[in-house]
Amino acid sequence: MRRKALTTATAGLTLAMALAACAGTPTQTPGQGQSAPASSGASGAAEVADAAVGKIYNPSDKKGGTLKMANTADWDSLDPGNTYYGYALNFARLYGRSLLMFKSAPGPDGNTLVPDLAESLGKSSDDAKTWTYKLRSGIKFEDGTPVTSKDVAYAVARQFDKEVHPNGPSYLNALLDWPKGYKGAYKSKDADISSAVETPDDSTIVFHLKEPFGLFDYIVQMPMTMPVPKDKDTGTKYQEHIISTGPYKFEKNEIGKGFTMVRNENWDPATDPNRPALPDRIEVQTGVNADDLDNRLISGDVQIAVDGLGIGNAALPKVLPDPALKARTDNPVQQRTWYTSIIPDVPPLDNVECRRAIAFAADRSSLFRAYGGETGGITASAMIPPSLAGHKEIDLYKSPDDKGDVEKAKAALAKCGQPNGFETNISYRTERTKEKAAAESLQQSLARVGIKLTLKPYPQDDYFALYAGKPSYVKENKIGLAINGWGSDYPDTYGFMQAIMDSRDIREAGNYNLSVKFPEIDKIIDQIKAEPDAAKRAELWSQIDHMVIDQAVVMPSVYGKALYMRGKGLTNVFISDSQQMYDYVGLGVQQ
Amino acid sequence: MVTYIIRRVIGALAMLLIVSIVTFGIFFLVPRLAGATPEAFAARYVGRGASMDTIKLVAERLGFYDPVIVQYGRFLKGIVLGTEYNTGAGVEHCPAPCFGYSFINQQPVWPSLMDRSRVTLSLGIGAAVLWLLGGVATGVLSALRRGSFFDRAAMGIALAGVSLPIFFTGMISLSVFSYGLGWTAPGGAWVDVTIDPLQWAYNLLLPWITLALLFAATYARLTRAGMLETMGEDYIRTARAKGLLERRVVVKHGLRAALTPIVTVFGLDFGLLLGGAVLTETTFSLNGLGKFSVDAIKNNDLPAVMGVTLLAALFVVVANLVVDLLYAVVDPRVRLS
Amino acid sequence: MTAPLDVPESASSAAPEAVVAATSGKAIEGRSLGQIAWRRLKRDKVAMAGASVIIFLMLVAVFAPLIVGALGHDPLQYHEDLVDSGTLAPKGAYGGISSEFLFGVEPVNGRDIFSRVVYGARISLLIAFLATLVSVVIGTALGVIAGYCGGWIDSFIGRAMDVFLAFPLLVFALALAGVVPDQAFGLSGDTLRVTLLIFIIGFFNWPYLGRIIRGQTLSLREREFVDAARSLGARGPYIIFRELLPNLVAPILIYATLLIPSNILFEAALSFLGVGVRPPTPTWGGMLSDAARFYTIPHFMIFPGLAIFITVLAFNLFGDGLRDALDPRGSR
Repeated sequence: MRRKALTTATAGLTLAMALAACAGTPTQTPGQGQSAPASSGASGAAEVADAAVGKIYNPSDKKGGTLKMANTADWDSLDPGNTYYGYALNFARLYGRSLLMFKSAPGPDGNTLVPDLAESLGKSSDDAKTWTYKLRSGIKFEDGTPVTSKDVAYAVARQFDKEVHPNGPSYLNALLDWPKGYKGAYKSKDADISSAVETPDDSTIVFHLKEPFGLFDYIVQMPMTMPVPKDKDTGTKYQEHIISTGPYKFEKNEIGKGFTMVRNENWDPATDPNRPALPDRIEVQTGVNADDLDNRLISGDVQIAVDGLGIGNAALPKVLPDPALKARTDNPVQQRTWYTSIIPDVPPLDNVECRRAIAFAADRSSLFRAYGGETGGITASAMIPPSLAGHKEIDLYKSPDDKGDVEKAKAALAKCGQPNGFETNISYRTERTKEKAAAESLQQSLARVGIKLTLKPYPQDDYFALYAGKPSYVKENKIGLAINGWGSDYPDTYGFMQAIMDSRDIREAGNYNLSVKFPEIDKIIDQIKAEPDAAKRAELWSQIDHMVIDQAVVMPSVYGKALYMRGKGLTNVFISDSQQMYDYVGLGVQQ
Repeated sequence: MVTYIIRRVIGALAMLLIVSIVTFGIFFLVPRLAGATPEAFAARYVGRGASMDTIKLVAERLGFYDPVIVQYGRFLKGIVLGTEYNTGAGVEHCPAPCFGYSFINQQPVWPSLMDRSRVTLSLGIGAAVLWLLGGVATGVLSALRRGSFFDRAAMGIALAGVSLPIFFTGMISLSVFSYGLGWTAPGGAWVDVTIDPLQWAYNLLLPWITLALLFAATYARLTRAGMLETMGEDYIRTARAKGLLERRVVVKHGLRAALTPIVTVFGLDFGLLLGGAVLTETTFSLNGLGKFSVDAIKNNDLPAVMGVTLLAALFVVVANLVVDLLYAVVDPRVRLS
Repeated sequence: MTAPLDVPESASSAAPEAVVAATSGKAIEGRSLGQIAWRRLKRDKVAMAGASVIIFLMLVAVFAPLIVGALGHDPLQYHEDLVDSGTLAPKGAYGGISSEFLFGVEPVNGRDIFSRVVYGARISLLIAFLATLVSVVIGTALGVIAGYCGGWIDSFIGRAMDVFLAFPLLVFALALAGVVPDQAFGLSGDTLRVTLLIFIIGFFNWPYLGRIIRGQTLSLREREFVDAARSLGARGPYIIFRELLPNLVAPILIYATLLIPSNILFEAALSFLGVGVRPPTPTWGGMLSDAARFYTIPHFMIFPGLAIFITVLAFNLFGDGLRDALDPRGSR
């Protein structure tokens, strides 16, 4: 409460000072400097921890300045048709406009879909199989050519070619009614795709779906619908010379090193109510070592870590005990659950009691530390994270201090016919320290009841394709436990749960879920699809959640939290629920 | 002399060929023999939740369905003749030497290698200057004052120097001098020498010193041993007897002979620079060839791995050649046959 | 990267005579040159200090369970109550060093650093010794064959050495260690990783030794005693095993002693880069690699780092002393 009051007070002060500065009068008011010492310094706003969670830190509409960003890795691709990283979707909105977008607003408000290229949200036919969007007029590419619905249709047709654009999501390939044998805009140049996408005139685009899909608006907000001019499309090389429709265009782009963006003069703010476009210039450096990045964030050399992973373990002992540094952090809960799959294909885990033994024996307070402690997450008992409909805590395996219940675990083992425990393997992603710590923690706590785990690290790029997501591999190599994490593509329980609960989606490789396969659950999912009442849908989802926890095929560890650090001299900083990191569209720079 | 060089160059080319075959074998053949399907290869180069169809298309695009020998032939042809690269929207010519395009970000490998080698060379040359100057000077002084406190202390430190892993000294010095005291640049700092030479040197100072410390030790020991040996030779006595200044005796006669082994070792060390760069660049997070190779291996970016391995081998081969030629200059006793 | 091993040609080339006398066993003076070397070595206090440290480390490795039982805790056991749940750093000053935890505890999970360093000695020494053995066996065999046979065999082996030396060693080792699956050659887990590391490290280091042995063999081949043996009707194998090899013991010994520390560093480097023995098995390089992510907690990196340093230094000191002792012309 006190913290909130302080924020509003100083925000008001900032405004007063700004106004005073405009009027050109000195702002020397006796006593004021002492009453709000937090507002001193360059930032001009109170630096308080979590100041950008659910609200805007240092709100401003002042334009100008250079925003400095850095990335520990590199984009999968900057090409809007070939990108699927969470931060890439957030960032793409700076240089491209898709049909719809998530509102650039703090907290839950950021979950709202708003029209971007389109005039309004999609108009669906009664059967939800045909979706129509009307484009705003006056939108241009960076070279001044007007954007038409054909450019959007072309973008959709070009991303169809997964040989050239293998990274992007394949929602549109799967959902739309493409002609038989269609191979995308490059190989099937003259094919008639009107069965999938139609452009009756330059400002209308119509999508035809194979099956009804009520959440189609969530799909077209992704960068796949950002228009691409056909004559400027260079396939795999388009990422080097992207033709912008957003407020910024690329000035210099060196893939693997970084890029700079400057204002796009052909972006007309009148056509775009969603983007304040505050900085004049954006500089991004890629491939920066994570610890160095944290240090540079602290020192002010870099203002935003683009990857949205939050600051690393090494920086914690430096940041948390230091009030001045801690005040610059935001620690939101994300729509992400870190969990362990317990795979029933691997004996003796085919027996539910053996699985339950694991769930009882696991030391959840230790897992909580493994995932980063207080700033890394909240101990979880269910799969659905707190901010999504249907979330309910499921206390089936509660134990004193969350240390695990050795007695109950032993009892379960006895019921399973393995009173002395058993041996199995646990997989995790080599590069991920927290997952390694989680696997080691489970190894420790399960050893208490005689369950011996062998650690199996795999490279994260191949983790699902070749190892922990490949049923045959998992069976052959007896991977009984697999460390997993899951976040949704869009803020809806369906988007979160369906992909990891529907057994009909399990393929020969590349699965995120191998352990949940119950026909009963598949049936409930069908029921949910047909259920118009949101409250009832939520109820059904919690039912599924309860089932998988009770059957112990998944064991949630924590609901993820990330510790973000605001760089120095930023304005208009907030975390939106849709991006679950700083919203890059809103950011500005202190002048 | 000319025939000698030609022979050496042909030998070097044959060596590079073998290196390329072995590297190619490890990355393309060994996994295949271990049972990896073309799809398993391709699955590394697709996005999250890609379907089997996507994976198959990518496998086709990257040529994984061809026999390994055909794939190798294509790789070799690219280096010698250049290759055509299909961007989807058109075809682009990649001129020789074309090491192909990264499987990860579709960038041509050769320009990336050239770009990254600026960092590695900056690191290597700066450190080499430091370690040569420091090492040789210490060695000469130690030899001249054999048994003195300076000699003992210098040799003790030299031995300690070779016994320290560079990632350890690097980490400690970063945390003390950069993050603790703020005297030196933080890890990852890099400016090209053409943009700001002073900043360039400042940024690289700590990596240079750390790397030089490791090597200077070897050179100090080598120089000392060489000097002790040559200073006992007859011609030195003769030179002294002629009444030459002691400084001239030491530098002109003693050091020159003692330099021969140093030149050998230096050539080899400089050739192996890339190997050393892996650890130094990882520790100081510099985006040079060493980091490039580690990233390429981690990401399974096969064209990048091939490119960096061959470049590294080329380094060694050229360094060896240069060393042999330098022999003739430094040591009057050596004549090329 | 291997730390360059500085055995000047001159140092080892003089050794054979000493050993010839020593192994021929006809001690006219009552003291063979081998004994002289040993006496010389005993007088070298620095080398003997190195040797005692080595023996101490070997004892530590062998009796690790006893030492840890008396002075530490299970190296895998968590002590999470000793770690702050916010910063994940150890509670208390100096990384939680206390009489219970001599070197403090690790961040996040609070494992006993002392026990992990003690157990780490096992892996480091085991890999270093056995990898050296592999290098010595391959290097000696091929070096002797190349030097003794000459001709096309010599040039073939010579070229092979060149190729090996041209490979970016660490890059290659990284790739190999990454490619091998979790179960292979009927081995799995730590056994497989350790075996793999031994072979990778050993296999890539043989050419250094091979070159020296070849050089030595070349000069020995022309010696009178070899001619004499040949004229008496001795054939290849006999000459190699009875005449050449005994005379190569000194350079091999010197070289092996100096190869061990470089192999320790190599193993640590591979672990540091994440392709060493799998966690949670403690290794020094692996601990340093973990510590790199916690640069704000210096004690975490200092102990494994010092362990590597002391071990490598001890071997270097001893190797130096051994070389001086076996080499009458010594550079000292």
